[in-house]
Amino acid sequence: MKNVIEVKNLTKEYKKLKAVDDLSFEVKEGEILGLLGPNGSGKSTTINCILSLLNFQNGSIKIFGKVMKPDSYDLKRQIGVVFQEVAVFEELTVYDNVDYFCGLYISDKKTREKYVNEALELVGLLDYKKFYPKQLSGGLLRRLNIACGTSHKPKLIFLDEPTVAVDPQSRNNILEGIKKLRDNGASIVYTTHYMEEVEILCDRIIILDKGKILASGTASDLKELSDIDEKITVEIEKIDEAILNQISNLNNIDDYTFEMNILTVKYKKGKNNLGGLINFLKKNNVTYNKIFSERPTLNDVFLSLTGKGLRD
Amino acid sequence: MFWHNFKYSLKVLFKSKALIFWTFAFPILLGIFFNIAFSDIENSEKLDIIDIAIVKSDEFNKNIIFKEAFEGLSKGNDKLFDITYTNLNKAQKLLEDDKITGYLVFDDDINIVVSSSGINETILKYVVNEISSNETMINTLIKKDINNEIKKGNYNINYEKIYADAYKLVSKDTAKINNISNKNLSYTMIEYYTLIAMTCLYGGLLSMYIVNLKLANMNSVGKRTAISPIHRGKMLVSSLLASYVVQLTCLAILFIFTIFVLKVDYGNNLPLIMLLALVGSFAGLSLGVIVATLIKTNENAKTGILIAITMLGCFLSGMMGITMKYIVDTNVPLVNMINPASMITDGFYALYYYSTLDRFIFDIVSLLVFSFVIILISYFGLRRQRYDSI
Repeated sequence: MKNVIEVKNLTKEYKKLKAVDDLSFEVKEGEILGLLGPNGSGKSTTINCILSLLNFQNGSIKIFGKVMKPDSYDLKRQIGVVFQEVAVFEELTVYDNVDYFCGLYISDKKTREKYVNEALELVGLLDYKKFYPKQLSGGLLRRLNIACGTSHKPKLIFLDEPTVAVDPQSRNNILEGIKKLRDNGASIVYTTHYMEEVEILCDRIIILDKGKILASGTASDLKELSDIDEKITVEIEKIDEAILNQISNLNNIDDYTFEMNILTVKYKKGKNNLGGLINFLKKNNVTYNKIFSERPTLNDVFLSLTGKGLRD
Repeated sequence: MFWHNFKYSLKVLFKSKALIFWTFAFPILLGIFFNIAFSDIENSEKLDIIDIAIVKSDEFNKNIIFKEAFEGLSKGNDKLFDITYTNLNKAQKLLEDDKITGYLVFDDDINIVVSSSGINETILKYVVNEISSNETMINTLIKKDINNEIKKGNYNINYEKIYADAYKLVSKDTAKINNISNKNLSYTMIEYYTLIAMTCLYGGLLSMYIVNLKLANMNSVGKRTAISPIHRGKMLVSSLLASYVVQLTCLAILFIFTIFVLKVDYGNNLPLIMLLALVGSFAGLSLGVIVATLIKTNENAKTGILIAITMLGCFLSGMMGITMKYIVDTNVPLVNMINPASMITDGFYALYYYSTLDRFIFDIVSLLVFSFVIILISYFGLRRQRYDSI
């Protein structure tokens, strides 16, 4: 697969603060690359540098094999961007907003009309064509934002935290829309600090912190980097201190906590950890209401790598 | 792309309520205010015809300059004086009975007799002084010309021609006084011209608003526009054209409203006034563009800066008191040479103070040069622009 984006040794400094620190990565044709990191990790700055909106101190950026510059109009024609902030005209209707931005790329009226309607259908806004932005809820506004950025059917799409402050229904709608864009052949760079989203959407993930790449790979690859292999959570009404202390003697245990009637046990590796814990609780006559096991999340990976959570 | 951006820029501008208020409604409201506030001043400003008497005497009959000047000032629709030619006793009686403002007695000197002090008495005194100084100037010119002729060895002097030439030369000043008192250049009219000039410069708010929407460091819409494949120059010109159309609509409404509703009489110069407003608006728009593109601060601060520049320009150009224009023109002429407000007001005054259009055309050309230079600077500032932070 060809590289649609090649970033080499990108460094961007704001005064003395390094927002992006010697960053290098590629985006392959047809893939969704997730840039995952907490607020201030350099995700948006990286995108703005790639788009030639920001000056940078060092590094090179190529899109579709060509150096990206502010006047690279042939490259810009193939790019769509959905910014973190909603970027629409308050004075224009939903249809006019999408038509305006689409018209900056597509001059043929009939093609544009078709594209605008398809974009509105993709984000579920066909019934809101004549509404003004101030008449839309936050979730619908975000959907309009996506339609404005993608209606011209770009080959490369940047989605910068498109689901921030969105209700669950709109979020699902947005995520479905993004999958459709990928299915239609677009390569996508998706930034977020919601780990669930990158797990669902992305073919490959780069974890960023303080402008540096901490790790990259598929979700499964990254989870291998976690200190733990399994996490079991049990809801318990009462447990004696002495019994609790015996948990550390169980096989494969990495760590355990008991807070607010919730026992959390983390295992490094091993098989049948859940069965072993249930047997232990029964043997000691500890009654429990709920018990469930889960694989490590990307937050656990981030925690292992940095000692802090993604949303801290 | 050019017309696509133009069409939507028009839509955005026409639907922006705040802009519509400041560029459409505000000048009209000010016009209504001027109409209410200054109509009384206008009426009280009109001069009454002043009744005076001249005591008939040989000295008066011999003084051709005075005789012709007073005859001229007591004829026609715009006459300044109603003159009674009488003897001294009757003149005194008329003054005692308050039938006249004063009377003139010509002997070796010219005596003005008045019974009180007031505007009419001051005008009478001013006119007599003016004519006296003209008389002195004519006499000086005649003496000079006669001496020149003698120096040349020409003793066959044509005294009538020398007198006529001197009289013609000096009487030009009197003509200037007549022009200034033209009914179209009243205090209220100056206020309306100020209003038109202010509206022209307020057009900068329109261009600034629409150009800000194309700048990545100003707002999210600007970011989205900046990453589009539209050439910056094309985008700038297209947006500027849209703001110009809105501005011209605004001016047209202002003219229609002042002419048909407020019954403002712009006189014979209306087409030239409109031409000046068209060019002045372009200068106003260019001012908005340069503030939007070159000053890197938030939208509110830019609006404040643009209004401050406009107000300062208006102040220095004499819109808030004509003395300031005189002071700046005398001491720092360069300031008003690059001040669009001054170029606009100067154009309006040029229409009334000069009998030819040379000065007016100079102002129009200055405004056009100013606008194109400003837009060119803005374009080069905008071109290939990347930001340090957005």
